[in-house]
Amino acid sequence: MFVPFFYELRANGIPISPTSFLRLQKALNLGLVVSLEDFYIAARSIMVKSERHFDVYDRLFAHYFEGVEFKNPLDKELEDAVRSMLLEWLKDPKELAKMLGLDPGEFNKYTPEELVKYFLDRLKEQTERHDGGSRWVGTGGTSPVGHSGHHPGGMRVGGTGGGGQAIKVALERRWKNYAFDGPIDASQMSEGLKRLRHLKPEGPKDLVNIDKTIYQTMKNGGEIEIVFDRRLKDKLKLVLMMDNGGWSMDPYIDVCRTLFTYATTSFKQLKTYYFHNCIYDRVYEDPQRSLRPRKTADFVRDDPETRLIIVGDASMAPYELGDDHGCIEYGEPQSRSGHWWLSFLARTFPHSVWLNPKTREYWEITAGAYTISKIAEIFPMFDLTLEGLEAAVKYLVRK
Amino acid sequence: MKEVKPLKEFEGTASYVLDPELRKIVNISIALEMPLLLKGEPGTGKTLLAHAIAQDLGLKLIVLNVKSSMKAVDALYQYDTLTRLNDARFGDSRRNVKNIEEYIRMGKIGQAFISESRVVLLIDEIDKADSDFQDDLLDVLDQMSFDIIEIDKTIKARHRPIVIITSNAKKDLSDPFLGRCNFHHIAFPSPEIMHNIVKAHFPEIEKNVASAVINTFYHLRRVPNVEKKPSTRELINWIRALQNDPSFKASQLGKDGYVPYLGVLFKKSLDLEQAKMFINN
Repeated sequence: MFVPFFYELRANGIPISPTSFLRLQKALNLGLVVSLEDFYIAARSIMVKSERHFDVYDRLFAHYFEGVEFKNPLDKELEDAVRSMLLEWLKDPKELAKMLGLDPGEFNKYTPEELVKYFLDRLKEQTERHDGGSRWVGTGGTSPVGHSGHHPGGMRVGGTGGGGQAIKVALERRWKNYAFDGPIDASQMSEGLKRLRHLKPEGPKDLVNIDKTIYQTMKNGGEIEIVFDRRLKDKLKLVLMMDNGGWSMDPYIDVCRTLFTYATTSFKQLKTYYFHNCIYDRVYEDPQRSLRPRKTADFVRDDPETRLIIVGDASMAPYELGDDHGCIEYGEPQSRSGHWWLSFLARTFPHSVWLNPKTREYWEITAGAYTISKIAEIFPMFDLTLEGLEAAVKYLVRK
Repeated sequence: MKEVKPLKEFEGTASYVLDPELRKIVNISIALEMPLLLKGEPGTGKTLLAHAIAQDLGLKLIVLNVKSSMKAVDALYQYDTLTRLNDARFGDSRRNVKNIEEYIRMGKIGQAFISESRVVLLIDEIDKADSDFQDDLLDVLDQMSFDIIEIDKTIKARHRPIVIITSNAKKDLSDPFLGRCNFHHIAFPSPEIMHNIVKAHFPEIEKNVASAVINTFYHLRRVPNVEKKPSTRELINWIRALQNDPSFKASQLGKDGYVPYLGVLFKKSLDLEQAKMFINN
């Protein structure tokens, strides 16, 4: 029973094990589930193990049990992409009209919202990338009062009797804010960074080592000798270099600030440096990048076990990375190309990563795609999301 | 493991305001004999739920407060080698040094297993310990039994405890662990539910006072860039503080930056400054 529903949940990225599906059957057999509301709650609590999947579950449930059109999140993304593209093109209406095959006069009658819809309709006709039944529902996300995607317009009225409450609850989309794509927040950051800790014994010997105590006592022929050890303390040295200049980093200030706060509170031996776009002869200890410079070449004297984390969008003009005189900061000394200096740092610190606040799916399409790909050849690059941070930390702690 | 008489359904208690959805999940978990994993912001009543279940069903509650340095075996049992060593050397106790079993002490999970009657076992803040802890507990909670290696003895649960596990972390627990639990995420209560919660804690409170306080509270939860948003616990303490202040006027609350005892709601100094700025603007 409900096997197709199970597969649909799995197909949409909710990791459900067959065991938990069988467990749901058991709950059904026990007579615990007597209504659709019960089923909605029971199925979710037994099969869906993260609040980040609750939103997808809600939408699939509503779709499956009442024939409400299920809107794939990817479609929404596409819609957003189309909108931003159109807004760009709207600066040149004639060109756009030509592209859409519309008469410029007729074109003016459309509002931007209608244009988006028109464009998406066209796109669908052309590619049929969408599986049967799901329609582009133009109202989702376009309403000026901000009901973005909240109540898809294509809802079929009627359907099964009863159970309306569960559908209604599912349609409320209460868990939207918990879905995966949200930006990383403070507590997630601290969770991720905690794994970086590297414990080494330090301080006074005040911890009883039972094994050694027994061994020594036996050696003494039963005369008790208690052996003490030092406690474990975090000894990890961490260097954080942050790109804090230029408008391209502006959208990421918040997430970088959070990372910085948590790094400072979690690690005693942390040094932070700042740079603009790319690293050349000097990095700076002060965020204004003027008072306390440090020669990049001097890092060679640091402990090579130090973990280096560079945070930046890696998006710059190609000459800023490749040219020996590519630095765009006036008065900044430069002897070699940014590419050379980055490679130098990667050689100096074998445990190093690049964290990019731009999420991975944009790396290939953003303005800085070229330099991103070049820098990713030097440093393993991860995006500054929960998953990315975890992967980066995993990379840093490996031997 | 002998079966006990079926428990009555969990109904909630007078002091714990229970969401019907959560009640159903609790009852399904009890019937399926599955541990229930609860996640959610601090102060959404995850821990209190276990207390409420124990109280309502008339069962004993055993709480395992997980600490960061904790190993799974600590939660099961401890072999007190130092006492045994001491007894072996000085021999002035009534314990039989040759019998290791006399030096085995049950941890919280062990206590829950050997209890004479069914208990509610709360494993609080499991995310504090590292993931090894969860992995080591997997089989224990699955089989409801564990081995004491030192004396080669298996401890089996006499009555399967009702297991409630809480986690504060936004991060997910390990997949195999999640696979063995039912899951629920307690969202922050809506203002309507918050009214009921306040009512449950302060039955005497006047309606307009409650509304003014709750409105201001939800307004203050919107202060940007705050590390720790005020939760239910802070709200309850805040109301307590306000009630003890004879000069407090509910009608003035939130007007012209009048929000007394802001420090009860925002406990970090940076947060408090953010909140002050937010109110004065």
